[in-house]
Amino acid sequence: MRTLLLTVGGLLALLLFSVGAALAVGSEVALGEVYRVLWHHLTPGALPLLDETADRIVWQLRMPRVLLALLVGGGLSIIGVAMQTLVRNPLAEPYILGISSGASAGAALFYLGFLPPLLSQTLSLPLAAFIGGLLSITVVYLVARTGSRVSVARLLLAGVAMSSFMAAITAFVTYASPNPQKLQAVLFWLLGSFSSTHWDLLPLPAIVTGVGLLLMIGLARPLDAMLMGDEPAHSLGVPVEATKRLLIVLAALVTGILVASSGAIGFVGLIVPHAVRTVVGVTHRRLVPLSFLAGALFLLWADVASRVLLPGEELPVGVITAFCGVPFFLVLLRRSEYGFG
Amino acid sequence: MFFVLSIPPLYHTLKRTLFLTFLFGAVVATGCTGNPEAGAFTRSVTDDLGRTVLLPPSVERVVTIAPNLTEIVFVAGAGHKLVGVTTADDYPPAVDSLPHFGALPLDFEAIAVLKPDLVLANANINNPRDAETFDALDLPILFFSFQTLDEIFQRVRTIGDLLGTASHAAAAADSLEAAVAALRQTTDRAEERPLTLFLIDDETLFAFGSESYMHALIDLAGGRSATAEIEAVRPILNEEYVLTRKPEVIFGSFGEDYDPARLLEHHPTWDIVPAVRDGRIYSLNPDLVLRPTPRLLEGVRQMARRLHPALFPTTETPPAPTETP
Repeated sequence: MRTLLLTVGGLLALLLFSVGAALAVGSEVALGEVYRVLWHHLTPGALPLLDETADRIVWQLRMPRVLLALLVGGGLSIIGVAMQTLVRNPLAEPYILGISSGASAGAALFYLGFLPPLLSQTLSLPLAAFIGGLLSITVVYLVARTGSRVSVARLLLAGVAMSSFMAAITAFVTYASPNPQKLQAVLFWLLGSFSSTHWDLLPLPAIVTGVGLLLMIGLARPLDAMLMGDEPAHSLGVPVEATKRLLIVLAALVTGILVASSGAIGFVGLIVPHAVRTVVGVTHRRLVPLSFLAGALFLLWADVASRVLLPGEELPVGVITAFCGVPFFLVLLRRSEYGFG
Repeated sequence: MFFVLSIPPLYHTLKRTLFLTFLFGAVVATGCTGNPEAGAFTRSVTDDLGRTVLLPPSVERVVTIAPNLTEIVFVAGAGHKLVGVTTADDYPPAVDSLPHFGALPLDFEAIAVLKPDLVLANANINNPRDAETFDALDLPILFFSFQTLDEIFQRVRTIGDLLGTASHAAAAADSLEAAVAALRQTTDRAEERPLTLFLIDDETLFAFGSESYMHALIDLAGGRSATAEIEAVRPILNEEYVLTRKPEVIFGSFGEDYDPARLLEHHPTWDIVPAVRDGRIYSLNPDLVLRPTPRLLEGVRQMARRLHPALFPTTETPPAPTETP
């Protein structure tokens, strides 16, 4: 327990430092100005603002962006843990049940003008993406369910099939689109980006991710038992079917909201849980909180890279996560005696 | 995640370049040399890809496989020789009555049926490998590249020469060049040159990088381009960049009926950007600024009028000359 607390404490300190550093890097805003802006907002009235531009950049652009990157990184990582445990398969990730493909299809349909804007312009896209994701996982769940039981094999196969189906919708609407400008925007969105994050977009991801984290920590023991299989878990007194349903609903909700807010950022939910397992083993009491912190840190720095690698330009953060994450992951896999479950 | 790969990559390359417009191009060299082996009246022409093509003595049936070439053929006075255009063609209105064929992918069968004497292609958006297919079909094809306004006017002359309307084309190009010179004279009188940001999309901030023709257009319109130093073909700008660069005017190719308030809705932090604060956001018809045709001049004029309203009294400038059949 002490080592866990120490590791969590260490990671939290690192996280805090990273947030401070991430707020300071980017275009030409002096370091002093960055912390002046922060101080101004954290202690209202203590310091007057000097530079309006610095305020916009640090508090309106970088801060929500950093926070969303933390939430999405952490959220996708714990859902990755949940999915890998649910289907007892190391290939599982948050997108395996077709949520991201569904969300992408919804976003593409909306972007290219096949769906009307329901709410304001900025909120309609996340809504379309969320509905797409929800639709997709509902179909998958209905196919996998027989009576009160959920078949894992059917869940996986239906998820893969539904992903392909939704991807075909996305491919078709992008192909049929008469508007090349918007097409580029869709591609950018599909690869994931935090570039258009603002404060209004934060509360929902914060709530679902927070609930997800608490639930997953609370479920640590039943999840450990489920790794051994349905029968052993059942004999240990774990309500297996109820836990499965809870995990699916949780995954749908968290992944749906996160993908809707920042696009389908890949590899985080697959890689981070495995990387954390190589260090602390498979028990969920450690795996869940550490995956959350590690995923948050990873995506925070990936997002920093996506906005500072090319001066003045944005890269899709999904490209960075794959570029940096995958080689690191392969080395980790090769070097450690890694076993799953 | 992975389905992006399942979309044919070539399609994307084409689609991207369709509005990415002009990159690099070789210098065109056309010559009318008698070639005794291929018949006394056959001409040999070298295009911008360096291919040498033999043309019949007079070209009567022309097909264009890029919309900007259609417009140039009309300006060169040879619109009546067009027998087919792509489904993307929408200007001038006379193209509506012509047969249309698919361009992505190129519908070779439909083109062959039209029996053209000459096919005109844009080296920047059409696939150079299509030349082999046209060669196999025994259809002569010429690729042209466009990167500056001057080069576009030069192509008007070249195409007039090829299609037998040389004097009409030369007159059109002369008057276009005179119009540019006149515009340059007017905008040179401007006392200040506002820092100008051109955005291709309002949400994802696609802009023009250092090698683009757009900076020359903005310069001609009497502004300073804000993205001329970014070393990329078509960068996606960071919102911070716009905040720190502080452009005084923002132009967009979002269409003529665009509501400028939407830009602020997508980028709420920009309320302190001078262009947004002063209400100097102007959206243009994309065809006037993204398509390498003589209509770019009209796009530049519209930008100049927005940048320097004082230099342009209320009278509208006449539109760029088009063909009178």
